[in-house]
Amino acid sequence: MNQYEAALFNDKKFGFLIYLFVEAIMFLTLFATYLIFTPSSEGPHPSDVFETKSVILSSIFLLSSSGTLIMSERGLEGKQLKKLIPWLGVTLLFALVFLGLEISEFYTYVQEGYTLSTSSFLSSYYVLVGLHAAHVAFGCGWMIVLFIQLKRHIPHSLYIEKYKIFSYYWHFVDIVWIGILLVVYVRYIF
Amino acid sequence: MYIPFFEKHVPSDVIAAWVSVIIIGIVLATYVIKQNKWSVIWEYMRTTHHRKVGTLYMIFGFLFFLRAGVDALLIRSQLALPQNEFWLFQFQKYNEVFTTHGTMMIFFAATPMLLGLMNVAVPLQIGARDLAFPFLNAVGFWLFFAGGMLFNLAFFFDSAPAIGWTGYAPLSTSLFTPDVNSDYYVFGVQISGLGTIFTALNIIVTIFRHRAPGMKLMRMPLFTWASLITSFLILVAFTVLAIGLYLLMFDRMFDTKFFNGPDGDPIFWQHLFWIFGHPEVYILALPAFGLFSDIITTFSKKRIFGYPAMVISIGTIAFLAFTVWVHHMFTVGLGPLVNTVFALTTMAIAVPTGVKVFNWLFTMRGGVLRMTTPMLFSLGFIPSFVMGGVTGVMLSVSAADFQFHDSHFVVAHFHYVILASTILGIFAGIYYYFPKITGYQLNEKLGKWHFWLFLIGYHLTFFPMHITGMNGMPRRTFTYDVGEGLTATNFISTIGAFLMGIGVAVMFYNLFITIRKKERVGSDPWDGRTLEWTVASPAPEDSFQPMPIVKEMDPYWYAKQRGEDLETTDEKLASPISRDSIIPFIMANLLAVLSFGLMYGWIWLAVLAGAGVFMCFIIRAFRDEREQYYGKGEDGHESV
Amino acid sequence: MKRLMLLSFVFLLSGCSDIAVLNPKSVTGQEQAYLIWLSLGIMTLVILVVFVLFAWFTFKYRYTKNKDGFVPTDVKGNLKLELTWTIIPFVLLAILAVPTIMTTYDHSPELQADNREGADKEGTHINVTGQQFTWTFEYENGKTVHDELIIPEDETIVFHITSKDVIHSFWIPELAGKVDAVPGRVYTYEIKDAERGTYRGKCAEYCGIQHTNMVFNTEVVSKSDYEDYLKKPDNQDD
Repeated sequence: MNQYEAALFNDKKFGFLIYLFVEAIMFLTLFATYLIFTPSSEGPHPSDVFETKSVILSSIFLLSSSGTLIMSERGLEGKQLKKLIPWLGVTLLFALVFLGLEISEFYTYVQEGYTLSTSSFLSSYYVLVGLHAAHVAFGCGWMIVLFIQLKRHIPHSLYIEKYKIFSYYWHFVDIVWIGILLVVYVRYIF
Repeated sequence: MYIPFFEKHVPSDVIAAWVSVIIIGIVLATYVIKQNKWSVIWEYMRTTHHRKVGTLYMIFGFLFFLRAGVDALLIRSQLALPQNEFWLFQFQKYNEVFTTHGTMMIFFAATPMLLGLMNVAVPLQIGARDLAFPFLNAVGFWLFFAGGMLFNLAFFFDSAPAIGWTGYAPLSTSLFTPDVNSDYYVFGVQISGLGTIFTALNIIVTIFRHRAPGMKLMRMPLFTWASLITSFLILVAFTVLAIGLYLLMFDRMFDTKFFNGPDGDPIFWQHLFWIFGHPEVYILALPAFGLFSDIITTFSKKRIFGYPAMVISIGTIAFLAFTVWVHHMFTVGLGPLVNTVFALTTMAIAVPTGVKVFNWLFTMRGGVLRMTTPMLFSLGFIPSFVMGGVTGVMLSVSAADFQFHDSHFVVAHFHYVILASTILGIFAGIYYYFPKITGYQLNEKLGKWHFWLFLIGYHLTFFPMHITGMNGMPRRTFTYDVGEGLTATNFISTIGAFLMGIGVAVMFYNLFITIRKKERVGSDPWDGRTLEWTVASPAPEDSFQPMPIVKEMDPYWYAKQRGEDLETTDEKLASPISRDSIIPFIMANLLAVLSFGLMYGWIWLAVLAGAGVFMCFIIRAFRDEREQYYGKGEDGHESV
Repeated sequence: MKRLMLLSFVFLLSGCSDIAVLNPKSVTGQEQAYLIWLSLGIMTLVILVVFVLFAWFTFKYRYTKNKDGFVPTDVKGNLKLELTWTIIPFVLLAILAVPTIMTTYDHSPELQADNREGADKEGTHINVTGQQFTWTFEYENGKTVHDELIIPEDETIVFHITSKDVIHSFWIPELAGKVDAVPGRVYTYEIKDAERGTYRGKCAEYCGIQHTNMVFNTEVVSKSDYEDYLKKPDNQDD
């Protein structure tokens, strides 16, 4: 990366950081919403709804995907595709597993009669966790684009830029998940 | 009139709107075809350059301003006399008109016109060649455009929202307003709000990373400072609003239980709304403060009095803006402690504002005041704004607010502050920066007519409203009785409103003849002080070649005083890469189509449009404008 | 000249005495009006200072032909002056803050768990329910009336205010400030010692299509008339 590219990259980093700040405020507002409405006086109590197993399992996959992404990032310097591609693939796989678990979790809850409109607690739960899941899904699409970009022979400095921005996004999404674990689940599971 | 497509009776105001839009459309189309201006339209649809995007912001902001202004005239016509029945603006229609007036003015007129001025002026003031992310800038603008157009469409389909610009729950939930009307509000504001956030982000990065060499933060013009701090306010405030609207959307579409039902909390909406809504007032006011500071210094031929204090007070106001939202909710019954705390924080905001007023006055002291149109607007601002500020302090007295709240006194107060700061500021900004935008200077004589008509009309409209309110007229009511003592003041207000209307018409005429005359002016028509007056008028796409070096505040002024040119450097700086693209236009408008699909339950349309939006993301990822500039080794930048 | 100014001032005041909110007919309203007058007074001071400085500077330093080519000297600031106009507003606001806090503590509506809480408060209790687009008043003996409020003079009236649907706001401008009627919440609000007379009550929070017409008639009557009124059967059917 020459000086010129580095300067533009810094613009992008700074801009994306601000974007993540905006996202953080979004999630904080939703956390506040959840705290206000949970537990609600009518409808089920959170501890009756949540299923420990699926929460733990999905957490393991999502949180370790941050680790696998870091492994993959090591292949970025010097363009070691043998490191980069498989680890990015694993990250994508973990993310997809997480999504699958989320969907099945939501599906189970709905089957049990706990829907979006059952109570204000469930409303705020689905809106918060659902928005996070949407972020994971978006990230999956992003990873696929990153795979395709590899085949496209764009300047490597540009690829690094794109990749790094994605990795900030992905780690951020993981941090939000930790927040969700602490605020949404842990208090009512353990 | 019964019209088959609408499958219902169509009221005459909607027909009038369709007819007038079709006529204007035909006139415009003939003009475009005759003059062969298609290329210009195509150019502006694809542009990412800051001046052009700024121009677009101004044009459409002004258009929506006119629309919302007509709404205001309709309101005032209905209220002119007791038990009046003007056209059909009673009941539902009246409710729709004041909702549209408020929403349009705040979201689609005032905010975008300020963003337009920032777009034009901020990069030029700090020596940046463009905003940091030109593509994102276009996205931001087109999102505003799409949201505004979507919101406007509501009226043409006779389904304008009628929930007030504050959209208080539970009235705004599907329980009480099940029709699409309120959805237009939710989606229109949501989309344009997203655009505002992106533009704010862009301005922050630009100001932090693209200043000319030597342009330290404490050497920046105050408009740039105000824009920077405003942008931070936008980031937080509009995001909270976005979540509020997001929750409301879920309540309306998926029957969630946030704002109604036994556990839902309508007050929660008010908290979210005012955590946005109060900072929004400062989002509107602070950039205007910045503009006035720059204009007053220029036309007093003196540097600003107490520059550090000015910067600090902008910052303090911005910080305090987030601590006062409950003063919109004193009558909600949050208890004496909460009411008191927020009364005190509200009062505190008067202090930094007062500091600014006195600093402006003392900037003028000892100067030579040239009474140009921008200066007149700035001078008109000071006493008018102080009057609005003073009623603000009166409103902060929480127990007294029990009487003022939601009466015409409040209407008078916020029109006093917002018109004095934002609207007069925008007018001043338009006259001041018109040469930088178009290369022409607006007619000064007409400008003065505009100023006096508008200022007199403004005071005539809103001063009596204080009394109307204290005589017991609640806001958002469409009539009153003969014996209530409200007739005289209401009638005067109506006269004033039409005077303002005439003032704006004069301005419109001024814009028209100035653009027609095509008399070019030089780069520095006002004898300015800051960097924007060193580049040609209109601002060229490759500004600041070579790049000036800044060694003090108001560098251009002091260089002129010494009879020197600004020192420049040939060193290549990394500047933003701007390349025309139609993607922002498509993406934003597809988002509006998506909302349309969701509102009317045409899921196929929503899915299609949603897929289109994601396609735009992907195309954009593969057509990055940086591709051709990267990977050129150490001196890769020579081609830029 | 002086007499003229005095005259105009008297005229202004007499004009104000007609203004409902500034000339209220209950003790609660008068306490609130006092705050309005006080804040208006303090703020008039501020306005005068700004207006005088503004007029003076604008006139004295306006451009005239003989100032052509004159470049004024720059003044970067003046710490003493700047401190002055930072501290004086603080003092003025502090003066305003004390009565504000006191009256706010006294007047703020209180959130109650239900209709019955707050029943121990001294005074005449009336339940107020807003509903699109009528007001319902329920008296202590269960008598229920729509859009007509009768209260006894010189007594503390404790209103228990709530709503059945959207948010409304209960306001009798000539008696006291307003309180929102929020669905799912009950507020108590006291109006003290009203004078006899007929006043217009309004909904002050926009509540839908008929918001304008959601008005009610308030009559303050003597205590004995009030007792008689309570004994009469409901004038409405539900």
